[in-house]
Amino acid sequence: MAERTLIDSRAMIDAHGDFLYRFALARVGHQDVAEDLVQETFLAALQGTYRESGPAAERRWMIGIMKHKVVDYFRKQSKEPIQHPDAPDGQSTEEDFLADGHWKPNAAAMQAWPEQPDGLVERRQFWDTLAGCMERLPPRAAQVFTLRELDGLDTENICALLQLTLTNFSVILHRARKQLRDCLADRYFGLPQEGGEL
Amino acid sequence: MKRHSPLLFTCRDMSHLLSDGMDRTLPFHTRLRMRLHLLICVLCRRYKQQLALIRNVLRKNGTTLIDDTRANAPGLAPEAKARIQRALDSRRS
Repeated sequence: MAERTLIDSRAMIDAHGDFLYRFALARVGHQDVAEDLVQETFLAALQGTYRESGPAAERRWMIGIMKHKVVDYFRKQSKEPIQHPDAPDGQSTEEDFLADGHWKPNAAAMQAWPEQPDGLVERRQFWDTLAGCMERLPPRAAQVFTLRELDGLDTENICALLQLTLTNFSVILHRARKQLRDCLADRYFGLPQEGGEL
Repeated sequence: MKRHSPLLFTCRDMSHLLSDGMDRTLPFHTRLRMRLHLLICVLCRRYKQQLALIRNVLRKNGTTLIDDTRANAPGLAPEAKARIQRALDSRRS
């Protein structure tokens, strides 16, 4: 197995910079923090020796470093906890319900979604829509949702890292999931889809 | 479902509980009452499936999101790239 040290900083930034930046941004929610984390990740990468070859392995390795940097960042932050879920932005999750607690008949178009997940993952339009929908989440919701669903951290861990109460955690994720569901219903499943008939 | 019943959760309750159930194990009696609601409520069944679908595609293929092929995908600003490169180059010598 080839052993080499990554020395070309320019090539490294070009190959992985944007990717790592998006990875960090989705988790920490601040552009300047995300930029710093990318820099720290590269610095660590330059000091380390990396034993696999190929761009995919290189990227996995960098993601591994970045994950640690993100957790370190949260640990340092946790002295100043933010206890509040994002302020409701007018689009309340409650407005889809009637006074008696039932779904409104037209609640964000509660039609069935036609496709199975296996078909969906092939579709670029689906991922582009999903990426767009996630960008529209309020920052804290995007952060908690990403840690939970993309990184697979468990509830206890996330609450500890972000200094969240279980109640806030629950409210934040409920809103995030509902908003994503509604956004996908609106912008993907409600539209004629690429590739013709399903 | 027409009326409130002490036994049945409302759909509003269900929308919270279905999300909670994805993050921790809910008490047995809660799960039982949820199951009862799902038996008779197609919209909540659908909601549950849709949340599960979002989870499954992300768990399986989440990195596709960061590979982001959209033209306006967020990326490092040129100034940030230059700054990072200066920092890297000054650290090596």
